[in-house]
Amino acid sequence: MRRTAYSVSQVNAYIKNMFAQDFMLHSICIKGEVSNCKYHSSGHIYFTIKDEKAAIAAVMFAGSRRGLSFHMQAGDKVIVTGSIEVYERDGRYQLYAKEIQKDGEGSLYLQFEALKQTLLEMGMFAEEYKKPIPKYIKTLGIVTAPTGAAVQDIRNIAGRRNPYVQLILYPARVQGEGAAESIVNGIRALDQMGVDTIIVGRGGGSIEDLWAFNEEIVARAIFDCQTPLISAVGHETDTTIADFAADLRAPTPSAGAELAVYDIFELFDELDSLHYRLRHEMEWKAESARNRYQRLSQSLAMKSPKNQLNDRKQRAMNLEEKLEQKMLDQIREMRYRLGVLAERIDGISPAKKLSQGLAFVTDQKGKRISQVSHVRPGDEIQIRLQDGTIIADVRERRETI
Amino acid sequence: MTKEKQSSLEELMIEIEDILEKMDEQDISLEDSFLLYEKGMKKLKMCNDRIDQVEKKMLVINEQGELDEFE
Repeated sequence: MRRTAYSVSQVNAYIKNMFAQDFMLHSICIKGEVSNCKYHSSGHIYFTIKDEKAAIAAVMFAGSRRGLSFHMQAGDKVIVTGSIEVYERDGRYQLYAKEIQKDGEGSLYLQFEALKQTLLEMGMFAEEYKKPIPKYIKTLGIVTAPTGAAVQDIRNIAGRRNPYVQLILYPARVQGEGAAESIVNGIRALDQMGVDTIIVGRGGGSIEDLWAFNEEIVARAIFDCQTPLISAVGHETDTTIADFAADLRAPTPSAGAELAVYDIFELFDELDSLHYRLRHEMEWKAESARNRYQRLSQSLAMKSPKNQLNDRKQRAMNLEEKLEQKMLDQIREMRYRLGVLAERIDGISPAKKLSQGLAFVTDQKGKRISQVSHVRPGDEIQIRLQDGTIIADVRERRETI
Repeated sequence: MTKEKQSSLEELMIEIEDILEKMDEQDISLEDSFLLYEKGMKKLKMCNDRIDQVEKKMLVINEQGELDEFE
C-alpha cells in the first residue's frame, strides 16, 4: 500500500505551523550557558544556549537588540526570553531571542577558573617545572585527532621545515565522551616511547569542543610527562588548562609544529657558515704567520754582519763628507775674515801715509825712530818715502821745547 | 644508555663556535690553530653525520604501542 508522499517544503511548513500554534513555544524563558556567540555585521547576534546535556541554536535580530543590555559572550550564563520557531529552509528550529538577562556566571567558566586556581596553588604551572624544548629533534610525537586540520597543519609544517624528523601520531579523541582519557593515553604512550618532543592539541572550536583540554587528568598527564611537551589548542585566543601545564604553549597547531621542528635548511646554512669561518680563520692564521715570518727574516737580514758592515761604511762615508764640508766652510770663513782684516789694515797702513808726503824713519837695523832721543849725531838713518829710501847721516838733534 | 656520551647537535655547534673564538685570539700559535682547525672540521662532520637525512613517513602508534604508516 502506497502512502501519500509529501514534499520537504510541505513537511517543514507543517512543523512550523505546529510550533507556531504551541502556546509554550510562542513565549518562553530558557536558562543556559552561551557559546559560539557571534555578533554579525548586520547587527544580528547568533549564539548557542546550552546546559550539560543539550544545546539549542539561538538568534537575536538587530531589531530586538534593545533586549540585551550587556556584551554577551561565550561562557555567560543567561536567561533568554523569546519564541522557538522553525526555520523552514533548513528544517531547523531555533530560539528567537527578544530579551537576554545575565544569570550569574557560566558554570564552565567557573569550573575552569576553579581548576586553574587549584592547580596553580599546587604548583603545576610553576616555571621551575618547565622543561626546555630541545632545538634539534629527531622524533616528534603528536597527540591529536587523526582527521581534521590540526594533524595536517602539523604534518605540512614539520615536513616543510625538516622532512627528516620522524612524526609519530597518537590518534586521539579530542572532543566528546572519553576525549580526556584518550589524550592522557596518548601523552603516556608517546612519553614511554621516548620521542624528543610531544605536541598535544587540536584545531579551533567552542569552549565545549576544547573542554577535554581543561580536564584535570589531562593537566596531570602533561605535568607528569617526562618528555618536553608543547600544547597547541585551538586559536590564539583560546587558553586552556593544558596550556598552563605544558612546557610551552603554542597559539595554534601550526605554530606548535614550528616551535617543535627546527628548520633544517637554516641549519645547513649555519653549518656552511661555520665551515667557511673555520677555513677562513685557518687561512688567515697561516697568512699572518707567513707575514710574520717575512717580517722577521727581513729584520734578521738587516742585522747580518755584512749589513752591519755596510751600515758602518755608509756611516763613515757620511762622516767623511761632513768633515770635508766643515773644513771647506771653515776655510771660506777664514778667507772672508782675512779679506775684512786686509781692508782694515789697508786703512791704517804706513805706506798710505807715505804717499801723503810723510816719511818713515828707521835706524840702520830698520828699527823705527819716533823720538829725537833715539839718535845721536853721526848715526846713519834711513828715511823711507813713497818711492824709495834716503840714507842720511844725523848732523844735529833738536828737541822740541 | 650510550647516548649520553655523544654531544647533541646544539652542543657540537657551540663547541665549534668556541673553537672559532679561540682561533681568533691573537697570541695563539700556528700549531694550536691547526689542531683547533682539525678539531673544528671533525666536529662539523659529526654535525652532518648527526642529521639523518632520510625523509620520514608519518607513523601512527596504536593502543598496543605498535607503529604503522599513517594513511
